[in-house]
Amino acid sequence: MKDLLKKVTSIATEKFNALYAEARAQSLSKTMFTMKEGRVEAAKQGTENGVALRVLVNGAWGFASVGSFNAEIMSEAVSSACAMAKTAGIRMKTPIKLSAIKSIEDQVHIKAKKNPAEISVEEKIETASTLSRVALRGDKRVKSCTVDYMDLAGSSYFGNSEGAYIEQDKLYVWSRATASALQNGVYTFSREEIGSTAGYEIFDVETPDALGEKLAKRAVIQLNAKAPKGGVFPVLLGPNVVGVFVHEAFGHLAEADLALAGGVLSQNLGRKIGSDLVTFFDDGTLDNAFGSFKYDDEGTPSQKTLLIKDGVVVGLMHNRETAQRFNAQPTGNARAEDFHVEPIIRMRNTYMAPRDQNFEELLEGIKFGYFLKSFRGGQANLDGTFQVGIQEAYEVVNGELGESVRDASMSGNTLETLLKVDAVGKDFQMNAGRCGKGQTVFIGDGGPHIRVSEVTIGGSS
Amino acid sequence: MVAVLNKEAILSLAEKAVKVGLQKGASEAEAFAYDGKATSVGIERGQITKANHIVDRGLGVRIQVNKAIGFSYTNIIDKEEAVEDIIGKALAAARASRPDKNWRGLPEKKPYAPITNIFDSKILELRPEDLIDLSTRMLDAAQGDKRVFPIEGGAGAGYSSTAVVNSNNVCVFEAGTMVECSLATLAKEGNTVTPVCFEFNAQRNLNVDPEWVGREAARLPLSSLKTKRVDTKNYKVIFTQFALQELFYYTLINSVKADSVERLQSPFKDKLGTKVGSEVVNIIDDGLLPGGLRTSAFDGEGVPRQKTPVIEKGFLKNFLYDNYTAQKHGKESTGNASRAGYLSTPNIEATNFHVLPGTKSPEGLVGEVEDGLVVSYLQGAHSSNPVSGEFSVVAAPAWRICKGKIDYATRGVMLAGNIFELLKNVVAVASNDRMMGQLVAPWLLVENVRVIGK
Repeated sequence: MKDLLKKVTSIATEKFNALYAEARAQSLSKTMFTMKEGRVEAAKQGTENGVALRVLVNGAWGFASVGSFNAEIMSEAVSSACAMAKTAGIRMKTPIKLSAIKSIEDQVHIKAKKNPAEISVEEKIETASTLSRVALRGDKRVKSCTVDYMDLAGSSYFGNSEGAYIEQDKLYVWSRATASALQNGVYTFSREEIGSTAGYEIFDVETPDALGEKLAKRAVIQLNAKAPKGGVFPVLLGPNVVGVFVHEAFGHLAEADLALAGGVLSQNLGRKIGSDLVTFFDDGTLDNAFGSFKYDDEGTPSQKTLLIKDGVVVGLMHNRETAQRFNAQPTGNARAEDFHVEPIIRMRNTYMAPRDQNFEELLEGIKFGYFLKSFRGGQANLDGTFQVGIQEAYEVVNGELGESVRDASMSGNTLETLLKVDAVGKDFQMNAGRCGKGQTVFIGDGGPHIRVSEVTIGGSS
Repeated sequence: MVAVLNKEAILSLAEKAVKVGLQKGASEAEAFAYDGKATSVGIERGQITKANHIVDRGLGVRIQVNKAIGFSYTNIIDKEEAVEDIIGKALAAARASRPDKNWRGLPEKKPYAPITNIFDSKILELRPEDLIDLSTRMLDAAQGDKRVFPIEGGAGAGYSSTAVVNSNNVCVFEAGTMVECSLATLAKEGNTVTPVCFEFNAQRNLNVDPEWVGREAARLPLSSLKTKRVDTKNYKVIFTQFALQELFYYTLINSVKADSVERLQSPFKDKLGTKVGSEVVNIIDDGLLPGGLRTSAFDGEGVPRQKTPVIEKGFLKNFLYDNYTAQKHGKESTGNASRAGYLSTPNIEATNFHVLPGTKSPEGLVGEVEDGLVVSYLQGAHSSNPVSGEFSVVAAPAWRICKGKIDYATRGVMLAGNIFELLKNVVAVASNDRMMGQLVAPWLLVENVRVIGK
């Protein structure tokens, strides 16, 4: 593969005068299925092989993707990418340049304790089946349970015109389970998602029994929950919600491409925008975490990037293009979902650093507010408005947990809300998730429990 | 670059897969073959920075052995052994899986309705230079005012063809085209940054209007620079198509899928024939809509697409079925089996989910509102409860209506409610029907919507 990729990138530099060219090939196998109430819809096995070619000619990018490792087809594709880049650059006012990085040659091999490729489809189905059975057996009000399972294994091959060549194994195991419950016309919904870059041993940690029970319990609790009040309240956020809060309320704004696009962080680099308790990282080096990898899709080593320290914005997440614009170093955040698309700046494992309070201390400060324990989804906006939808929440009354609350969401503006983080716990938990930014990638997020003195709760009562 | 496969080539690939599947021991076999290419030019931060060309093709095979279903796919179809290889994997997957006592069989062959306006050879002939031209015209139209900042967007042209062949004599092919241009913008003035606004125009024929997209993409953020706070209370709210598309996709559309109903995940269970919305609400799932972005002759398992009335004058009429769910309940598939390409098995999904327009102009609709809001873009609709229809979202931004006129913008307000209550509270429907993608709809005026002010 090395010679093939080298040959293809040299066509771009030699024949088309490309400033830079890269070829990124993948060879992947996936196993997937969806189970509904214990019934497997269809067990699936698939192959996704192909190559992405990206070139920089006259200051503009050209990109081509083909599902083939045939040298002739790849040569045609790279020529087409060069022609496309030339056309795209016609009206270029600010030509794209890349910051320099060391060209690396490396091979990264993953040794999973339990390689999903060596586990039978029957066993995978049995794992999902256990989860489903546990979720449905306890309480008759739980009516449905869907389990999605996916594992992916293979290799990626990266070569560029600067002499880099990196082979990396890819390994992901992911599952999402949802359950619904019904009682007297009240419908509830609950979800759990797990993922790992380690191997099938994730199910020894997150056992199907425990997942099934958690899923069912939440769906049932919600049946008697009440609607939240709408308005501004203090909140205690669980680590599961803190992860999404860090990801949505800050992470996206700290992606350098979005900062350049006019996001509110562009005016706030080096400024204090959060309380002293706020320290966030984006870390691609955490062992087994869902957003970890050794090299990004531009050949830059992944790293632990400090984004905000004691409330002060100290860094952004960069690819080679934005690093050049900001006169910074690339941070290893260039990721592409697959060979059909080009790498863009994406988060890895984004989290808040813990401090020193325990759960009771965090609760104590709240006269009336909400404990937002588990999220359903979240979304960021470049003006700093964030939203996090909540699937499990409780009232907090005079420092104690109260009644269950359903279908709440919280919102605020990053530049106001981070200053209102007034207590941070000493515990810590990471979650596996997926993030959409035109492309979907696997990420992690997390943190401790934290208290925020004011957010808007979107409640209907 | 790689040329597209012709009808004969793609059909013969699918036919071969079915034949080999049966030979190797499948009781039934179905092949879904896809071939597509897309060319696009991209805008980043106010200038054209990139051009992409993507070729994607592949084959997915679903087979049944002893009532257990196996599926396999590959995007490498040029090799001689590709078909044998995926049949082998699909058979292995089926043997590892479990029998499904409700499996009745793959769809039978049926006649297809004629389809119009989904293919335009002029789109196939578009060169990157033509897409640069579309993008430039759109950008120029957006960039009159220095406060407007085009974040990203571009223009793209795509061709896709699919073939479905099964062991029950289904054997169909279809090709379609699409061209689109889009622009996401924000406006900046001093330290004020607006939320991201977005406009686009997508068509199956070469009839896009890039200048309109550019003008609208600039107008919206400019009009939301100056904001005022609004009080927390119930308002009359006009939902534009962007807001409706998000809300309906994550709530209402789930509740009319037959499998959601069967699995007790829809409040519409036992509600067929009853009133579920106000009398001005009429919705048709129209897989045959001329020029529709989701229009096709057949669905993901080769069943004819059709027009299915969903809600008529507020009364719930039908649910949406694929072949499996229909057979299980002794019904006919409504042609709503959808696939996300060759790598997916069929799932029930709406086609062109058409909220039928009324007669009032959008201005007329605004004119009817004494005190209310216009809501275009929502943040967080995907975090709605997909079963109960509960939503709690941010309007980013919204515009306040006072005495029949749009008065000022407001930011960060939240809307909380339930989609099934919302359907009952629709008081008027505008005439400005628009194809968004899955949703085709006009603006809707809804009363009694809870707004949490900021």
